[in-house]
Amino acid sequence: MSSFAMEWYLIALLMFIGFYCMLVSRSIVRQLVGLEIVSKAAMLALISAGYWSNNLVFAQALLITMIVIEVVVVAAGLALLVKNFRLHGSADIWKLDSLKG
Amino acid sequence: MDKALLAFLIIPLFAAVLIPFAARYRPRMADILANVTLLAGLANLAWLALSPSMIASEFANLPGDGLSLLLVGAIYLVGLCVTFFSAWFLDENLPNRPAYYSLLLVSVAAMTGVVTSTDFFTLYVFVEVLAVTSFALITTDESFAGVEGALKYFFLTFPASALIIVGLAILMLTLGSLSYENLRIFMSSDIPAGPVTFGAALIMLGFIIKSGVVPFHAWTPDAYQGAYAPVSAHLAGIVTKISGVYALIKMATLLRFFDGRAQALSEMLMFLGLLSIAVGAIAALRQKDFKRMLAFSSISQVGYIVLAAGLGTPLALIGAVFHLFNHATFKTVLFLNSASVERSAGTTDMDKLGGLEHSMPWTSWTSVVALLSTAGVPPLSGFWSKLLIILALWESGLRTYAVLALLFSIVTLAYFMVMQRKVFFGKKTAAAESSPEVSAPLLAPAIVMCGLIVALGLLFPYFYTYLKVVAERIII
Amino acid sequence: MNDPRLVLFALTALFSIWAVMARSLLTSAIMLALVSVTVSLIFFDYGAPWAGVFELSVCAGLITVLFIGAVSLIRSEEEKHPESRARFYALPLAAAIFAIAGWFYLPPFFAEMAGWARPGTGGGTIGLALWDMRRQDLLGQVLMLAAGVFVIKSVFPRRTEK
Repeated sequence: MSSFAMEWYLIALLMFIGFYCMLVSRSIVRQLVGLEIVSKAAMLALISAGYWSNNLVFAQALLITMIVIEVVVVAAGLALLVKNFRLHGSADIWKLDSLKG
Repeated sequence: MDKALLAFLIIPLFAAVLIPFAARYRPRMADILANVTLLAGLANLAWLALSPSMIASEFANLPGDGLSLLLVGAIYLVGLCVTFFSAWFLDENLPNRPAYYSLLLVSVAAMTGVVTSTDFFTLYVFVEVLAVTSFALITTDESFAGVEGALKYFFLTFPASALIIVGLAILMLTLGSLSYENLRIFMSSDIPAGPVTFGAALIMLGFIIKSGVVPFHAWTPDAYQGAYAPVSAHLAGIVTKISGVYALIKMATLLRFFDGRAQALSEMLMFLGLLSIAVGAIAALRQKDFKRMLAFSSISQVGYIVLAAGLGTPLALIGAVFHLFNHATFKTVLFLNSASVERSAGTTDMDKLGGLEHSMPWTSWTSVVALLSTAGVPPLSGFWSKLLIILALWESGLRTYAVLALLFSIVTLAYFMVMQRKVFFGKKTAAAESSPEVSAPLLAPAIVMCGLIVALGLLFPYFYTYLKVVAERIII
Repeated sequence: MNDPRLVLFALTALFSIWAVMARSLLTSAIMLALVSVTVSLIFFDYGAPWAGVFELSVCAGLITVLFIGAVSLIRSEEEKHPESRARFYALPLAAAIFAIAGWFYLPPFFAEMAGWARPGTGGGTIGLALWDMRRQDLLGQVLMLAAGVFVIKSVFPRRTEK
């Protein structure tokens, strides 16, 4: 069993954990935690692919950009969370059901 | 990146940074700066594409591939309509007014970045910028529905981004690079395409979620309905089209769907396209809310674009690009009109509205033009793009698809007729009694867009030469 | 399984399960920071020190601070209505089922994928790679940071006294 295959197997597991968290959780914070885990798995996939195809420098350049993006995305998500909390007084995603049809 | 179009990215960014400083003491400066920036950009673009020498030479020396120029034009057009509308629509003492305009300009810049990118990772970066600006724009008016729509958008679009990144990783592994050009060269060579199409399929799945095609459309109606009124026109008219559908069209050309190298992917895309035409149209028939109905109609129209992109023949791609452009014009009109109705009558519930044509004739008639164009009635522009798509399907021997696409085009007409009858025609209701026509500046964007719809329909032969140049350049 | 990098991968998975299952959101945020730390160690192990440093300072540092700030704002309300824990306690089970079922299919699949690899040219330094090849991404980063500032300004406007 090559090391690459094992790495990607664990990345798939990590992704499963993240998506599971996003699916079952009702709390917005925990959904964000799940999102973070999923995006960490995606980053690991990128660097691993770069390493095994001899593109490490390229992959590293992409990762730095991704990290900057991630921090802004998480900040935006937390800002939405706080705003939602101020308006609704809860951080429960299933209480958001005013829009239907 | 297209160097010729770089300025269209950088100048809005500068203006966006400038606005908070300029508008510190005079809030109106924000409106003026945003409008002037976009207007200047649009004038410049019109000169680039429509100067007499360019028309005389049948667009032979367009900069870049022509597609990005056309789409930058659409972006600036919708952006200008939305900022102009907002300038009169926004609440006088909205506390985040400068930030609202800055975000609009940043989103215009990001969309320009998307359509001028030459590399999948750059595409991803700008799509993320676009998504981040969209959340904040949706929640501008601090309503419950706005935050709800924004959160739903957030939690569907970022897992999709993770899928895109994994797809990029596989593409990097199997292709050794992420640029469009390398993928195009790879796909036209004889190397077995399996591994690369697997990576491309993941990327495509991510963009399918982002464009709200049917099995993944849960966020679309909520985000459009909940969004602040002018913002929903911005979102439905251009943002989701650029952040999702554009990438699908681009990948359809790069993966060379027309020569059958990625047959399974092409068929899947066409099936999803047809599914979303059907589901969107049928769901739109049963809606009670004006904006929500428009959102489902938007899903259905995106289905046409995706169907044509999935087919991938040159004619189908011309149809897809043209329908994308048309969608920007008619959906902007309809959503801006829904905003006017909301402002004037105070509600968008179709059961409470009725008989608005007497008090709001301009809004009513611009809606009629836009909806006829959506449904594909000649000689409006929407007719030509649907005709091209259906012709392309028929030519490729996909008779069932062609007939179904035609059939659902009639359903489109049906639900719009229901909408028009409920909202504008018929007996006046209590809500309509006290709803005067909105002021002229609020009508101007809708009227300009309607003029464009009619003009594009009548001058279609000229536009077709342009589109043919585009199609020749993007499929080499 | 004697490769140190694989141990780090397994540790990342472990911490992430912990982050999902933790009862208090604060523990969750701290476990997320530990996930970031192990990820950055993996980056170092691959020989990508710049990405590792960024990950350590930005993701393990800044994002954790943001998380803890937001959590402490809403914690009182969140603890009044605790969500049902049953589905979280099922996570190790679900993860184990996924791991065992995936064991038979995924590694052979990925091993085959490794066979498809088309090695790139490599080489170069990170600075050159960023500046020469990824200049548009730098523009994208600038745009992203501007967007972040305006998002915060728009979501939390400075209210004028009226």
